[in-house]
Amino acid sequence: MYRYILKRILFLIPTILGVVFIIFFVLNLTPGNPGRSILGVSAPQEAVDQLNEELGYNDPLLVKYFNYLKNLVLNRSFGTSYFTGQAVADEVLPRFGVTLKLSTIGIIISTLVGVPLGILTAVKQYSIWDYVPSVLAFLLAAIPSFVLGMVLLFVFALKLNILPSYGLETWKCYIMPSLCMAIPITAFNVRFTKSSMLESIREDYIDTARAKGAKERTVIWKHALKNALLPVITNIGLNMGGLIMGAVVAERLFSVPGIGALIVDRIAYKDEPVIIAGTIVISITFTIIMLAVDIIYAFVDPRIRAKYTKVKG
Amino acid sequence: MIFARKGFSLARTKKEYSRKVNQMKRTIALCLALIMALGLLAGCNQTGTEKDPGTTPDGTNQGTNQGTAEQSEKTLIMRAESAFTTLDPANSNNTHDIKLYDQIYEGLYGMNEASGGYYKELAKDVQVSDDSLVYTITLQDGVTFQNGETLTASDCVFTYERAMTFAAMNYLTTMIESVEAPDDQTFVIKMKYAYAPLAHTLFRIKILEEGEVTAQGDKFGTIPNTAGTGAYYVKEYDVASGAKLTSYENYWQGAPNIKNVEYRVLSDAAASVIAYENGELDYYEDAALSDWDSLYAKAGESHSTMVKGNNIIWMGINYASKNKEVLNNDLVRQAMFYAINKEDVNIAVAEGYGNAADTYMVPEYVPTQPTTGFETYAYNPEKAKELLAQAGYADGVDVGTILSTNSSHNSKTAQVIQANLEAVGIHAEVEMLDVSLAVEKWNAQDYDLCVYADSGNYDFNNIRQQVHSESVGMYVINYTVGDKFDWKRIEELVALGAGTADENERLTYYTELWSMVMDTATILPLINRPVAIVWSERINIGDPVPTYYKIRNFTWAE
Repeated sequence: MYRYILKRILFLIPTILGVVFIIFFVLNLTPGNPGRSILGVSAPQEAVDQLNEELGYNDPLLVKYFNYLKNLVLNRSFGTSYFTGQAVADEVLPRFGVTLKLSTIGIIISTLVGVPLGILTAVKQYSIWDYVPSVLAFLLAAIPSFVLGMVLLFVFALKLNILPSYGLETWKCYIMPSLCMAIPITAFNVRFTKSSMLESIREDYIDTARAKGAKERTVIWKHALKNALLPVITNIGLNMGGLIMGAVVAERLFSVPGIGALIVDRIAYKDEPVIIAGTIVISITFTIIMLAVDIIYAFVDPRIRAKYTKVKG
Repeated sequence: MIFARKGFSLARTKKEYSRKVNQMKRTIALCLALIMALGLLAGCNQTGTEKDPGTTPDGTNQGTNQGTAEQSEKTLIMRAESAFTTLDPANSNNTHDIKLYDQIYEGLYGMNEASGGYYKELAKDVQVSDDSLVYTITLQDGVTFQNGETLTASDCVFTYERAMTFAAMNYLTTMIESVEAPDDQTFVIKMKYAYAPLAHTLFRIKILEEGEVTAQGDKFGTIPNTAGTGAYYVKEYDVASGAKLTSYENYWQGAPNIKNVEYRVLSDAAASVIAYENGELDYYEDAALSDWDSLYAKAGESHSTMVKGNNIIWMGINYASKNKEVLNNDLVRQAMFYAINKEDVNIAVAEGYGNAADTYMVPEYVPTQPTTGFETYAYNPEKAKELLAQAGYADGVDVGTILSTNSSHNSKTAQVIQANLEAVGIHAEVEMLDVSLAVEKWNAQDYDLCVYADSGNYDFNNIRQQVHSESVGMYVINYTVGDKFDWKRIEELVALGAGTADENERLTYYTELWSMVMDTATILPLINRPVAIVWSERINIGDPVPTYYKIRNFTWAE
């Protein structure tokens, strides 16, 4: 098992190399002129050209790629922002922390609410306990995040005046952005858990358990749920990654200084060092989350566990 | 026997394994719970908005001589529509950044849009030599920087020499030969040539304290400093979330009434409207015009206004483009000008609250802006069709692409132009690019039609940037191509206007200049957007201004 974990951690290295290369490649294809963005429209062309040269912007793709990696490995530096002149790490890491907090709260809410509701709808299929959550989940999953965010702002900030509309100063500030991120995922969790549970409930071994006289509670919680949870766990991991990457909507709407908003803002200025560093941080996080999911998966599913465990004879 | 032993061994191993697995499960569950709990705690353990008045840079407590103790604890919340890129005033020409600089730094001249333009700020007296080549400026007495140092002429020399090395300041300093400080109170600017609009340079270059700028080195602009003479200094600066300012109690014009100011980056216009209506913003300028009715209803007449903005959106036609066979034709260009309905642009961009523009600057803000004596091309689609027919394009013509920057206002304008032109039989595509790329295309003359804009510039010589071949950025029409236009006379008139201090003489030059430019049918001013401002009942703001407000003039309401 440890070998598996180590292998997955080592796999991070080619992943990062690949991600950085893809970002460089894509950015290389997109038009832009950081020199002009920095110096402004009135700056002389020679000054703009000189600045682009100093920034290494005109270097060939591979030269830029290897210089970046060299700086990352040898100096452990993400470089300096074209836009602000500040160290990229100082800009990216605090904002990533903010996004991670929001995403963590979002995933906790969506899991604690979505999974039990999904189980309930499956167990009480064709009852009011199924119809109401299912219809709600259907509706909420269909609402785009920015619309949901505006509705939350309108209701809780403007009409009820009980929550602040922006910032992260107090715990109250976290409620709306977290809900904006969590609600669509919660709705999705309800539907996903329900379908997974229903699939599990219809398996032969459930009938067998019932035939053997097991209590319904035991059948549901011990036999059906255990198997139904496997895809749900994977889904939760994917959701966490999705929340981090998709946090930009909530960040913009609630003026939260997170990494998504930072990357989107800097794309307009072609601030390559910030865009690349932000993407690397998100990619690493996503890979770690997937690794954690795989490890949890291995412990939950005995078939996977057996695959990686040597039984001494 | 062997089998039994093996079976026993397997059973024991399985039991042990099962125990280990359970132990590990518990550990993982505990770790996950801890991570989640930490995430929650980390998310919720931040303190509230800083309310204490803080201390001055030298560590002394702030006084409350201009207000009560309660007032000194209050914080004025301002909306910043985007991040402040740098705190170095020599490194940004962004109007949004300059609004912040105006609170923390001062130039030799200040700007008061409400009373009509520039006034002496750090300059007490300005003497101009007979040949207009030497400006001798006497500095105000008793001015100190926020770090306690006294303002001297050597700081002015340092600041101007530093600015002259910044490409972003190039358009403000190219006319300066050298600067010197004969004594502590006298600052001398020697010019390469006579240049009357120097006031804008004196306003835009903010004086910095040499010692602190030098000490901060490359970090200057990226971290808070106390190197300005303004009424506030930056206490906290975060590119993403904004800046927190604290009053400078020894400010030479008297400590401001409002002690704490916070600029919050609120990029989303709809969210900003909600923040204002929710009482979370004290001053919201350049507010979304689409939400004006709602904002006005909330703010009431006494706390809202819509002032004439100092901005103009333009259309340019490149008569020498790849499509020059069509665009070089004077009748086609005139037809296009007559086809444009500026009111349509006004409705699309400013919800109908703007004004059609005929001049290159807003006359209310620039006294020597000519208002008569030139062609204005009033909307006349029938005339446009006639001119097209005369040009030999009675069945319509394709004029190429309208290149616009991707700002909301400009892109909407481009779409209205496209529709207006189509209505008279002129077909055009629309291309939207980031401003940095659009400028490159303008500079390379690689476009057919373009939409661009200018704002916050009170320099009466502003026309130079559009018609003089030495200009960069907004010189979108290259009049020097071929001998179609008398570009030498155009540039001569620019120089004559800038070289005279006599306003009547200047008006004569500029009237001829603008008439010549409009006759070329290459640059068409479209509209002037208003600036909507709403403020909270907590404050009084004095005379509202469209761009360069001064928070030191704001006061807390009783």
